[in-house]
Amino acid sequence: MKTLATYSIKGGVGKTTSAVNLACEAARTGARVLVWDLDPQGAATYFFRIKPRVKGGTQRLVRGKSDLAGHIRATDVAGVHLVPADFSLRHLDLHLDGTKRPTERLASLLAAVADRYEVAILDCPPSISLASESVFGAADALLVPVIPTTLSSRTLSQLDRFLRDQRDPPAVLPFFSMVDRRKRMHRDLADSLAGQFPAFLDTVIPNAAAIERMGPERAPITAFAPKTPAAQAFRELWAEVAGRLFP
Amino acid sequence: MSSDSFTHPEMSGDEVSARLADAGFCIGPAVNVRRTVLDTFDGRLSAAGLRLELREEDSGELLLSERRSPADQLAVTAVSPVDADPDRSPFRARLAPVIGVRALIPLMTVTARRTVAVRRDGAGKIRVAVAVQDRVLLGGSQPASLGWGVEVEALQGYAKDADQARALLASLGLTSHGSTLLDLVAEGAGVDLRGYEGSPTVPLEADEPARDGFRRVLVRLADIFDANWEGTVNDVDPEFLHDLRVAVRRTRSVLAQGRHVVASGDRDRFRHGFAWLGEQTGPARDLDVYVTEWDRYVAPLGSNAAALLAPLRSHIVSLRQDEHERLARALHSEPCRDLRTAWCSWLRAGGDGTGTGTMPRDAGRPLGEVVVERMVAAQDQVLARGRGIGPRSPAEDLHELRKDAKKLRYLLECFASLLAGGPRKAFVQHLKALQDNLGEHQDTEVHASRLREMSKDLYRRPETTADTMLAMGQLSEQLDRRRQAARDEFSERFAAYDTKRTRRAFADLLSSAGLSSAGLSSPGDGSAGGR
Repeated sequence: MKTLATYSIKGGVGKTTSAVNLACEAARTGARVLVWDLDPQGAATYFFRIKPRVKGGTQRLVRGKSDLAGHIRATDVAGVHLVPADFSLRHLDLHLDGTKRPTERLASLLAAVADRYEVAILDCPPSISLASESVFGAADALLVPVIPTTLSSRTLSQLDRFLRDQRDPPAVLPFFSMVDRRKRMHRDLADSLAGQFPAFLDTVIPNAAAIERMGPERAPITAFAPKTPAAQAFRELWAEVAGRLFP
Repeated sequence: MSSDSFTHPEMSGDEVSARLADAGFCIGPAVNVRRTVLDTFDGRLSAAGLRLELREEDSGELLLSERRSPADQLAVTAVSPVDADPDRSPFRARLAPVIGVRALIPLMTVTARRTVAVRRDGAGKIRVAVAVQDRVLLGGSQPASLGWGVEVEALQGYAKDADQARALLASLGLTSHGSTLLDLVAEGAGVDLRGYEGSPTVPLEADEPARDGFRRVLVRLADIFDANWEGTVNDVDPEFLHDLRVAVRRTRSVLAQGRHVVASGDRDRFRHGFAWLGEQTGPARDLDVYVTEWDRYVAPLGSNAAALLAPLRSHIVSLRQDEHERLARALHSEPCRDLRTAWCSWLRAGGDGTGTGTMPRDAGRPLGEVVVERMVAAQDQVLARGRGIGPRSPAEDLHELRKDAKKLRYLLECFASLLAGGPRKAFVQHLKALQDNLGEHQDTEVHASRLREMSKDLYRRPETTADTMLAMGQLSEQLDRRRQAARDEFSERFAAYDTKRTRRAFADLLSSAGLSSAGLSSPGDGSAGGR
């Protein structure tokens, strides 16, 4: 099983929409996919119309008193399963802190279901904390959505610096998200950032109304607008990511 | 997601859909569906408890589903038509450890009209799906034994909803069959979804006449040959040729062991014919091994080697293609057709085509006795030849020993039902360790020699760069190192084989099956080489 995390220190950059749509694309190409909604806001869980609840709470799960497999729910998308969010995830740092090796905890929980899935996608809350370090310990690659704005690119640099000091860090795969090619600043920053970070994926996710509709539709974009440029972009993004994960 | 099927002797699929609608299920549109079970020819997925299904709906959607044992874990993946090629990653990555180099082939196709009824919760989430399938046809035209059926598709995390759906169907008078609709249709049609079983083992009796036992083994080998013929001709995957080639070798070996059991005229004629056939398969098989072993050969040369050696790989792939085409022509040729026809007639005639009316000396003797004699002789031959090989012996001696070991192995496999399973496996472990060493030596020798020939071809081509030639030199050295390592290891491997422990395992093998080598001389009986 390859583990990806949609991650950014900054919020509102398209992590959850990317996690959900990439999961569906991965499944469409034959992978069994597990999405783990680690964000207490539970947006991925909401998109999949699943109740945001982990029986017994996050603390029991993190401390090994309940199995991850027992919390997995099938979504309406064939091949995609979900570990739903729970409001108790807001204390994930505290719960991890009470374990022996907190930065390895998520990896060991995922290891128990590794033979059932080809791809796991962790949808992370915006922060850099102990929980993030546990995500870094579990992930083969971080998918980092970057809006071509100064603040968003600044957080990518912060992440880059942080990971440089880590032992065996995950690969970082940044990609441009919510891009409006009509905006000159977006075009200019996208060009300069791509030069600065050669790992940038080629695919660009546009700022599109179809993606915003995922909220009211409560579904991945492929379910209600599969032929839109935004859906096509996620298809291409997965193809690019899969090329890195399964060379 | 798990699935089990329900039927009713009087109700129709439409009536069940109507009842489900009354019970609050949302009924989807009726869709024509074509369901194909895929597996390797030898059923590797089935053996691993997996079921792979290609589902084509008239909406254009394809589904690949996988069922693990126990049946309550089924993952269904929707795959767009363009991505449905199982060779694409990550799907290939998922199946590769199970299927290896084998191709996926369709085992059975069923068409049906499918209507899915779903029950949703307040948020609109599907909690359970019930698929009503009617107008079920086998292969798209032939009526199936089961005209319609209902399958409950339980979703992970929603087991209670699935139980409620099953209870609802039961309350409507439907009967659960505990297996999928496809299993039921396959069973009714006599289609074995477990794939082809390619073991040479047939039931044998130690006290039956040797001629009958040898003939039954040869019939089984002919069946394996026939089963793999088409896949070899069409080059479906390398295992078809491998299995066909092994069937030919085993046939030759059993004929050779059938001295005084099979009439000498027939024996010589067919041995000669199968030797010719075996020769036809050799070059294509060598190149198959080159291709399948490529990554293992190239990996030690570093990350750039694969790119530098790409022209060589293309050349090998092209040669392989040529050799397979040549082999296909040989398999379609008149000599091959004549051989198969004559062989088939001879086997049908009871393996007695002497025309002389004279029974060969051992033909009427008890099979067990004859087989033991042959096994002891084969084991003696392995020991005698192996003991004669020293550090300066030529490579041909190891090659001959490899052939001797194979003869013994084929006897153990073809006449396995005369032997007790446990001791047979224990002895085969000893033999296999020796064979692995000899195989590595032989493969690297053949491939290094082939590489030298190919180097000459590529050198003459203007597009071959100096870097590629250098990388080929490295590959050649790598193969030589491996050959030498196998050669160096030989004495140790043979010494491990030529021990009291191995000979005891051999004796146990014979005695556990009620067979004895008493009265037969063996160099292994003495103390030479014993430890």
